[in-house]
Amino acid sequence: MPRWNFMATESTPLPSDPTQVPNPAQSPVNSYTGDNIKILEGLEAVRLRPAMYIGSTGEMGLHHLVYEVVDNSVDEALAGYASKIEVTIHVDNSITVTDDGRGIPVDMMPVGNGKMMPAVQVVLTKLHAGGKFDSSTYKVSGGLHGVGVSCVNALSQEFNVEIWRDGHTWEMDFSCGDPVSELREAGTSKKRGTKVHFLPDRTIFTATEYNYDTLAQRLRELAFLNKGLEITLTDERTADAKTGDSKRTEFKYAGGISEFVKHLNRGKQVLHDKPITMEALRNNVDIEIALQYNDSYSDTLFSFANNINTVDGGSHLSGFRSALTRTINAIGQQLGLFKDMKESLSGDDVREGLVAVVSVKLSQPQFEGQTKGKLNSDIAGIVQAFVNERLGAFLEQNPPIAKRIINKAIEAARAREAARKARDLTRRKGALDGGGLPGKLADCSERNPERCELYLVEGESAGGTAKQGRDRKFQAILPLKGKILNVEKARYDKMLGHEEIRAMITALGTGIGKDDFDPAKLRYGKIILMTDADVDGSHIRTLLLTFFFRHMTELIKRDNVYIAQPPLYKIKKGRFEQYIKDDREFVKVMVKRASEGTTIRHGENAQKIEGADRTRFMSTLSEYLGFVEKVNKRIRNEGLVELLARAELTHRADFSSAADEDAIPTKIAALHAQLEQSAEKFQIKPATPVRDEEHRTWSVCFTDSQAATRCIDWTLASSPEFRQMMAKYSLIKEYMEPPFLIEFAGKGGAAQETSAEDEEAEGEEAKAETKAARTSRIVRDPVEKQTARELFEYIVEQGKKDYQVQRYKGLGEMTSTQLWETTMDPEKRTLLQVKLEDIAETETIFTTLMGEDVEARRKFIEDNALDVKNLDI
Amino acid sequence: MPAKKKSDKILRCPSCGMLVQPKDEDFPFCSDRCRKIDLGKWATGVYKISSPVLDPDVLEDLDGLGSGTRRDSDEY
Repeated sequence: MPRWNFMATESTPLPSDPTQVPNPAQSPVNSYTGDNIKILEGLEAVRLRPAMYIGSTGEMGLHHLVYEVVDNSVDEALAGYASKIEVTIHVDNSITVTDDGRGIPVDMMPVGNGKMMPAVQVVLTKLHAGGKFDSSTYKVSGGLHGVGVSCVNALSQEFNVEIWRDGHTWEMDFSCGDPVSELREAGTSKKRGTKVHFLPDRTIFTATEYNYDTLAQRLRELAFLNKGLEITLTDERTADAKTGDSKRTEFKYAGGISEFVKHLNRGKQVLHDKPITMEALRNNVDIEIALQYNDSYSDTLFSFANNINTVDGGSHLSGFRSALTRTINAIGQQLGLFKDMKESLSGDDVREGLVAVVSVKLSQPQFEGQTKGKLNSDIAGIVQAFVNERLGAFLEQNPPIAKRIINKAIEAARAREAARKARDLTRRKGALDGGGLPGKLADCSERNPERCELYLVEGESAGGTAKQGRDRKFQAILPLKGKILNVEKARYDKMLGHEEIRAMITALGTGIGKDDFDPAKLRYGKIILMTDADVDGSHIRTLLLTFFFRHMTELIKRDNVYIAQPPLYKIKKGRFEQYIKDDREFVKVMVKRASEGTTIRHGENAQKIEGADRTRFMSTLSEYLGFVEKVNKRIRNEGLVELLARAELTHRADFSSAADEDAIPTKIAALHAQLEQSAEKFQIKPATPVRDEEHRTWSVCFTDSQAATRCIDWTLASSPEFRQMMAKYSLIKEYMEPPFLIEFAGKGGAAQETSAEDEEAEGEEAKAETKAARTSRIVRDPVEKQTARELFEYIVEQGKKDYQVQRYKGLGEMTSTQLWETTMDPEKRTLLQVKLEDIAETETIFTTLMGEDVEARRKFIEDNALDVKNLDI
Repeated sequence: MPAKKKSDKILRCPSCGMLVQPKDEDFPFCSDRCRKIDLGKWATGVYKISSPVLDPDVLEDLDGLGSGTRRDSDEY
């Protein structure tokens, strides 16, 4: 590493120990005997094999020339003599580097054979000549390839040096490493420093254009690493459109590497505002470290030794890393943050989101490799002890920051653990299970996946039934256990255990995870979720669908996922049997049956509801009552809700007076009067209508028996359930006047009426019904009901009367034949295909069900009812 | 009401809550890391749908079951 400052009084500055020279340019070194010509041979070697000295003759090497010259100036700054370095790119892509250091010595010195030469000429023409070998001149020195500025000279078609020293200006010119002039005193100057101008040799370099950003990046780095040093970069090739000024950037950082870290973290969310910095001189090693965490998952670590970016790390970085891991674990332990942790945090965990710069400066650094990518000096222990002490102290004194950093590392550890568990899902368990299909799977014999179906069945018993009932040629059954855990009293949890998910993935054959999942390997064309038609079933279905959505999205996109529709009811009378899929259908069937042989009259005039009108009335009434229940969640008084329906407050205009804003709208006044009238019946205390300024509408509020205040206002009337209720109401309004009278017809009449309206009834069913009607129905007194609800319930009860009604609580209650006929037989079954759009809704349900917010979850289940009301039927 | 409707369209990464688009590479996750975290949760039985037990008979059953199944869950 030649340096231009060396003692002129010293004799040959050649290194006695060639291992100090990382570049294996052995021949010029060995051939050096103090002969001028041989020295020039040294530079000729540089021109012959430039890549050996500066890395390449391309872009990289071209820029490297600048770094070599700048490094010399930085060394002057490190030694405390220079504070400013200016780098200029000229229009011809030549470069000038100016510093305010001491200036290269110009005095004559002996170079062997009794010859004398100006020191500057020695520095610029001899490889491995310089002050570096005398550690009293430069304690610390960087340089990249240990060949320095003489290489730059050798590889420049023009090279000019100007030195300001001791009141004089000195100049000397070179070309391709050869002096083309003597050293001359060109004038006087009060300045101090050195200016080097060079034009890279176009015959050697394949790249000739300097890149501003590339230079800026390295110069910025140098400015960070040497706090207070001012480096400017000017590009004379460019001119600002307005001012005509050249592009220019000044790099000067009083904060040093702390600012470097901030710079690296720009635009990122940081965990703590200020980088943590540590700086000291230990065992003659100048250690400077800055670190700051951001919320990302990657780490950015830069390490430098004597300003050289040690891209492959080395002892300084490994010392830092082990200290970081040790300290964070120690402090986490102290703060009691590891209660749920089984293992200590790993190095990867503590480095997640870390941005750190480790810079050491030491004399005689040992590097590994040609490019000095790795520091070998034995300083790991020094750095480690230093970081343990300083970082430990900092974290102890700043517990909030410590907690944030440590919690981030804990999160990283959990993620790592989760990833490991995720890998476990597909890894073969051991030699014993043969790595084949799960033991619980009853596979089908068909081998063409497109024709195969896999039923995912909840519960062992239902699984057993399905296994017996299936067509084993193409239907496979995998029973899944939705674990029930008594986590706390009075709660039970539905979940899919590790083994269930594992079995499912193995059976499907697709693998799991970004890298492994392959939908083409799916072993079944249809995956059919078959769960009970109750809340538990719907929970398991939600879990399964969410899993498919999140981790097997492609299968849903490819229409591979289906939901089976097992019946919820079976009704039976004699030899007649019918399966009914849900509550809605059940009500419809019951109403239809009950209507046979009865007549409904309504209102004061006992108007008859007959034929198709009655069928329509009853089914609409059923729907209407469903919405009444929903609206009632807000009102908590069903009688009152029905009163509201009759009041027909459907339009915004009903809540406001068009003519006079201050007048109570007619319908509101009427409603208020009605509430006053029924106050006793409903146990409420109505208040005078008030104006709702927010909506410029009027509302009526009342206090109910539970002392809760409830309001009838535009918000209520515009809710979807209220609108739906009103829509249904308007369809059946003409029949809604109480009282309701149910008359029972005689034998003949009943049969006659039935045949007219039940054309679609299946043969056997109709026969059974007619027969039953003939034998069991006797003429009875009419029954009177005061509300539509009472009418409806009475009718449904009548419908059930002659039937055995069975509500299936689970698939297991069916026989295998029943399950086949109702749910699995491709000829008879209905399957719901799962679409991505539906499942996004499931995801919302799932997120709410999984959420931390217990209240939100409770409300969600209540609002969406999620068939909860089925639970206790 | 419009605020509620929005949730139909806006999807968030199940792990970190970042907004995601159906065309994203890691949909419905924001990244493979988040996918792995979620998969790990499935693998370790984190996802449970919890309901209150209303039926006293079931409650008795659960009491007998409790200790056995609890050990199960601790494995992970």
